[in-house]
Amino acid sequence: MKRFLVPAALAVAYVAVPLAFGGNPYVMGLIVAALTIGGIAVAWALLGNLGGMVSFGHAAFFGVGSYTSAVLSMKLGVPPLAGLLLGGLGAAIASIATMPALRLKGPYFALAILAYAHIFQILATEMTGVTGGAGGLLSIPRFPTLLGVDLGSKTGGYVIILTIVVLSAAAYAAIRRSAWGLALKAMHDTEIATRVIGVPSTHLKAAMLALSAFITGVVGAFNAHFINFLEPDYAFSGAWTVLPIAAAIFGGYRTVWGPVIGALTIYLLDQLVFKELMPHGHQFVLGMLLVGMILLSPGGLAPILGRRLEGGQRHAHA
Amino acid sequence: MLSLTLQALFSGVLAGGYYAMVAVGLALVFGTMRIINLAHGELVLLAAYVAYAAESQYGLNPVMAIPFALVIVGASAALVYALLSRIDQDREINSLILTFGLGIILTNAVLMIWAADIHSTTAPWFQESVVVADTLFAMRSEVVFFVGGLVLMAGVHGWLNHSWQGRAVRALSSNRNAAKLMGVNPRRTEILSFLVAALLATFAGIAIYTGKTIFPSLGHVMTVKAFIITVLAGMGSIPGVLIGAVMIGCIESLTVTYVSASLQELAGMILFLVVLFVMPSGLFGGRKAIAR
Repeated sequence: MKRFLVPAALAVAYVAVPLAFGGNPYVMGLIVAALTIGGIAVAWALLGNLGGMVSFGHAAFFGVGSYTSAVLSMKLGVPPLAGLLLGGLGAAIASIATMPALRLKGPYFALAILAYAHIFQILATEMTGVTGGAGGLLSIPRFPTLLGVDLGSKTGGYVIILTIVVLSAAAYAAIRRSAWGLALKAMHDTEIATRVIGVPSTHLKAAMLALSAFITGVVGAFNAHFINFLEPDYAFSGAWTVLPIAAAIFGGYRTVWGPVIGALTIYLLDQLVFKELMPHGHQFVLGMLLVGMILLSPGGLAPILGRRLEGGQRHAHA
Repeated sequence: MLSLTLQALFSGVLAGGYYAMVAVGLALVFGTMRIINLAHGELVLLAAYVAYAAESQYGLNPVMAIPFALVIVGASAALVYALLSRIDQDREINSLILTFGLGIILTNAVLMIWAADIHSTTAPWFQESVVVADTLFAMRSEVVFFVGGLVLMAGVHGWLNHSWQGRAVRALSSNRNAAKLMGVNPRRTEILSFLVAALLATFAGIAIYTGKTIFPSLGHVMTVKAFIITVLAGMGSIPGVLIGAVMIGCIESLTVTYVSASLQELAGMILFLVVLFVMPSGLFGGRKAIAR
C-alpha cells in the first residue's frame, strides 16, 4: 500500500491539481501560497526534528533568500531559475552568521535566531542602495517560458514550488535514513553520550541549520519572483515564522510530509474560513491550533493518519 | 550635548524600571519551572488593555483599574500554568511552542476586541511633565511608576529572601529534588511564582499605558525585551535584573537620541547576541549557565 502512496500523490499533485484548478487563478494562487508556507515548514521541521532546535526566526532566511535572488536578477540580470539556487545559497551563507547560536540551549537558540531576523530586517530597511529600503523592490523579473510552459503564470509557479517542496522533502527523508540521521537521532536521545562515541554533534547541527536555511532561502527566492514585489516588512514578516511553525506542529513535525499537509490545511482554512469569519486577529485560530495540538497530540496529525497507512513504520523519530 | 546625554540616560533609567518588572517575572517563572514563558509579555499587554477598557468605557482612572487587571492577569497566568503543567513529553520544545501559541492567542484576542489602534491614557495628570534637578524632564507617570516599581520589586526581593514561601521559590530554583525533600510543595510554589510574575506584569502594563503607548504587538516586544534583559543579567537576582533593565533602557534611549528611532530595537538585539556569545552566563556571572 505504502509503495504506491507517494507516486500516486505525486501524480495527483503534478497532473490532477493543475487540470482541476488551472483555470482558476484565485484557487491556484492560494495553493501556491500554501505550498510556500509548506516549504518553510519542511525546513523548520528538519531543523526541529533532526537538529533538535526550535527556531523563531526562519523569516530571516526567507527574507535573505528573497532579497538575494531579487537583487541579483534585477541588478546583474541573473535568470530567475538560477536565482532560486543563489537565493538558497545566500540564506545558507547568512546561516553561518547565526552558527555561534548553536551552542545555546533551547529557548536561547530560539530567541537568538529571532534576534537575527530582526537585525536582518533592519539591515534590509537601512541598506537602501541595494534593497531599495522601505520603499521596496518593484517589478522583480518573473519566471520565463520554458518548453512552451509559461512558468510565470499561476500554474507555472505551482509546478516550481511543488518541485521545490518535493525535492526538499525527499532530501529530508534521505538524510533521516542515512548514517547522519541515525547520529542525529542518537543526539536527540542523549547528546553527551553521542559526542563521547565520536559523533561531531556541533558539525551535524551546523549542517542541518545550513540546509534548513538553504531550503527556506530557495522558497523565499521563489516567492519574490512569483509575486514580483518585495519590501523589508513583508520579506522578514513574523508571519513567515508563525505560519510554518503552526503548519509543522499541526501536521506533525517529526514526519516528512506532516508539515506540507499541515501547511495546506492550515493556510487554506485560514484564508478561506477564518479570514472571512474574523477580519481582525484571525491568527487567533492558529494559536488555538498550536496550543490544542501540543496538549492533545504533540506529534501532530500525521502520526495519527500514518498509523493507519504506514503500519509498522510508525517510529518517525528522527 | 551633555544635557542631551543626561536626559537620554534619565529617560533610559525610568524605562528600565518597568522593563525590570517584566523581566523579574520572566526570571521567577524560569527559576521554578525551567521554562521561558513566551506569553509573559502578553500578560503585560492584557493589563494595559484592561486599564484602557476601564478608562474608555467607565471613565475609571488607570490606577483604580489595577485590582481588575490583577484579577484578569492573575487568572490568565494561572491558566498558562495549568496548561503548561499538562505537558509530559519533550518538555523543553513543547513548552516553548505552547507558550508561543498562547502569546499568539492573547495578542490576537486583544486585536479582535480593541483593533490595532494605538492608545494611551487620557488622564492628563499622568502626562504632565515633571522637572528633576532643573534640567531633566519626565512624565509624571514615568516617575510615579518607576518609584512604585522599585518599591514593589524591593518587596518581592524581601519576600524571596525572608518569607518561607519566598525561600521555597528560591529553593526550587536551585535544586528541585532537594527542595522537595525539605517539604516544599513544587506545584504550589510554581503557581505562586506565576502569580507574583502576574502581579509585576500588571503594574508594568499600567505603567506603559499611562506613560507610553499601547498596541497589540507590544506583548511580543516585551517578551523579547524581558528575555534579553534576563540574558544580560543572568537569571540570578532582582538587583542584577534591575541593572540589566536600566542598561537596556539607557542603550535604547541613547540610540534614539543620537542615531535613529528606527534602530532602537537593533541596539538591544546586538547587545543580546554579544553577551550570549561572549558571556553566556550573563554580565553578573551566576551559576546557571545557559550555554553548554
